[in-house]
Amino acid sequence: MFKSVYNWIDERLDVTPLWRDVADHEVPEHVNPAHHFSAFVYCFGGLTFFITVIQILSGMFLTMYYVPDIINAYASVDYLQHKVPFGSIVRGMHHWGASLVIVMMFLHTLRVFFTGSYKAPREMNWVVGMLIFFIMLGLGFTGYLLPWDNKAYFATKVGIQIADSVPYIGEYIKIFLQGGEIVGATTLTRFFAIHVFFLPGALLALLAAHFLMIRKQGIAGPL
Amino acid sequence: MAHGNKNEKVVYVGDSRVRKPSGEVSIPPDYTSFPGRSEAFIPNFLLKEWMVGCVVLVGFLVLTIAHPAPLGYPADPTNSAFIPIPDWYFLFLYQLLKYPWVSGSYVAWGVVGIPGVAFGALLLAPFLDTGKERRFYRRPIASALMILSLASCYYLTKVSWDFYQHELEVTGTVPEHITREEKAREAALSGEEAESPAKPAEDVALVDADNADVNAILKSAGCISCHGTDLKGQAGAKIPALRGVGDLLTKEELTEIITNGKGNMPAFGDKLSAEEIGTLSDWLAKQKAAAE
Amino acid sequence: MSNHEFQETAHTPVKRKEMSRRQFLAYTLGGATAFMAGGAVLPMIRFAVDPLLEKRAGGSFVKVVEESKVKVGEPTEFKFKIHQVDAWYVSDPEQAAWIMKDDKGKIFALSPVCKHLGCTIGWNTTNANQYVCPCHGAHYTVDGKNLNVAPAPLDEYQVKVENGFVYLGEIIPNTRV
Repeated sequence: MFKSVYNWIDERLDVTPLWRDVADHEVPEHVNPAHHFSAFVYCFGGLTFFITVIQILSGMFLTMYYVPDIINAYASVDYLQHKVPFGSIVRGMHHWGASLVIVMMFLHTLRVFFTGSYKAPREMNWVVGMLIFFIMLGLGFTGYLLPWDNKAYFATKVGIQIADSVPYIGEYIKIFLQGGEIVGATTLTRFFAIHVFFLPGALLALLAAHFLMIRKQGIAGPL
Repeated sequence: MAHGNKNEKVVYVGDSRVRKPSGEVSIPPDYTSFPGRSEAFIPNFLLKEWMVGCVVLVGFLVLTIAHPAPLGYPADPTNSAFIPIPDWYFLFLYQLLKYPWVSGSYVAWGVVGIPGVAFGALLLAPFLDTGKERRFYRRPIASALMILSLASCYYLTKVSWDFYQHELEVTGTVPEHITREEKAREAALSGEEAESPAKPAEDVALVDADNADVNAILKSAGCISCHGTDLKGQAGAKIPALRGVGDLLTKEELTEIITNGKGNMPAFGDKLSAEEIGTLSDWLAKQKAAAE
Repeated sequence: MSNHEFQETAHTPVKRKEMSRRQFLAYTLGGATAFMAGGAVLPMIRFAVDPLLEKRAGGSFVKVVEESKVKVGEPTEFKFKIHQVDAWYVSDPEQAAWIMKDDKGKIFALSPVCKHLGCTIGWNTTNANQYVCPCHGAHYTVDGKNLNVAPAPLDEYQVKVENGFVYLGEIIPNTRV
């Protein structure tokens, strides 16, 4: 059954080479921790991706309960964390995952840096990777506001104040981020939109580019 | 008819009239030419990668179960007791802005200059470090700069965190999410439903709200400056609401608290006459949530 | 080593009875995948399906009106407020019930929601001694029996009389027709 459906699709779209390419490409010995234990440092990229997937999934599930509104946001987070079974785990995954993704990405970046893997011809992939890093920081910053507790409010206020002190355009950045004169209702909806739609959209596009380039160029050779 | 032979496998190349050129299928670059043992991505290599993934996942789940995500009290812009602190990965930037040479009139250096140069250099690393050499010990400048930046980030983060801990200690503040957890635990131990800070005591109406004597005392003694003009208190600063206080405390207890103070509340015994305290505690003792 | 050879032989009958190395690896990989996916996703699924597993709270009774105000043979509409906790949203929406006493002196209360398409019915608006729905002309007898259009009789409230007051509880299917 599965096979005939697959064949039907394959006849028309010729999908076999796509996954065959991913599945069968040879992975060299020098990144394989089974051969050299020190090669575990090459795992951090994959782990970053794994945690990112957990972040995306747990985020999707959290929005089933969360409302981005200054009156109800806190109440809904409180509800989902304390009243819904497994709520504290799902929110915990998203909260700690945010930190873990930064840690993993940091280690991955250091590995790439110290093995000189960003050198020609892989410059573009490094740049894309750094953009992913910045987007992750942006996700961390925008996500912090969403529970609308004191920590969220004041950390965001400070963050926006920092943006405000940028010469010339600071004022505009501040008003744009706040969506008004104060950190309030429009700030929360804005941060929610940026956190849930804009940044993840950009993140997925950059991740796709990152992986395509890795597949195209292969892993950098042994040192 | 583009395809003469019906049994021929159709391979489109974007346009159904053009068939994919037959011949050598381009083989993606692999490492079979490298010395040593290479292996297929699936299943051999991925299995090893995912063994590590499983270990990380278990650790991660243990972390989430052991430490629930923190949640403080609802945002209150008037709360002055709160010590804001950003997420740990922003602490180095936060700390940087505290130094005099990147704040005040030099603030542009702190928010744009130094981070801009640092992140810009990181972003453009491959174009700055163009040598062919990949070993880090053979490119001392790049490596030294990176190690220096790491050290300074670590230093800034540590200083910032230590200062935060110090501030907490000096002001005697306990981070809100911890206070909250503890309250919830106490409530659970005593078998009561934990009071949700999401719902302030606004349901509780004031009894005898227009009592002129009491209102005068509330104003003159400064009760409302802490407990709020609406007498709802400040959950974040652990100042209790006076609405519904009659359910919790008796007249005698209230008199005692007003006279001698309690916790952060100063004593009013020398500021108010015994008569005034009597009036006030009488009135407060009447503040019970409306009976069903 | 080349895995493409393995690929080819995978489709032809395997001569050895034992599991091939590749098969073993594939199964282990599948297991690891399932573990990772399950570990990460199962808590989230439980989190999402919680409303399905939530036990329905037994309806509490709400005081509506004095028994003496309920008429015999003639339904009267009474409004009452119920306390509703909808997740983090607590409200006291108003509900209505048509309450009357039957010949035997038993009090019953009908829900004003038409069983056809959910409009709100009225008493005696056009047809004498019938509940009439303004939307599609459904009508019901005084006991709530469906006469026209509607597929089922009007729902009833659980009724409790205590200390001279009528209390209404949960909505239940009509028990009178």
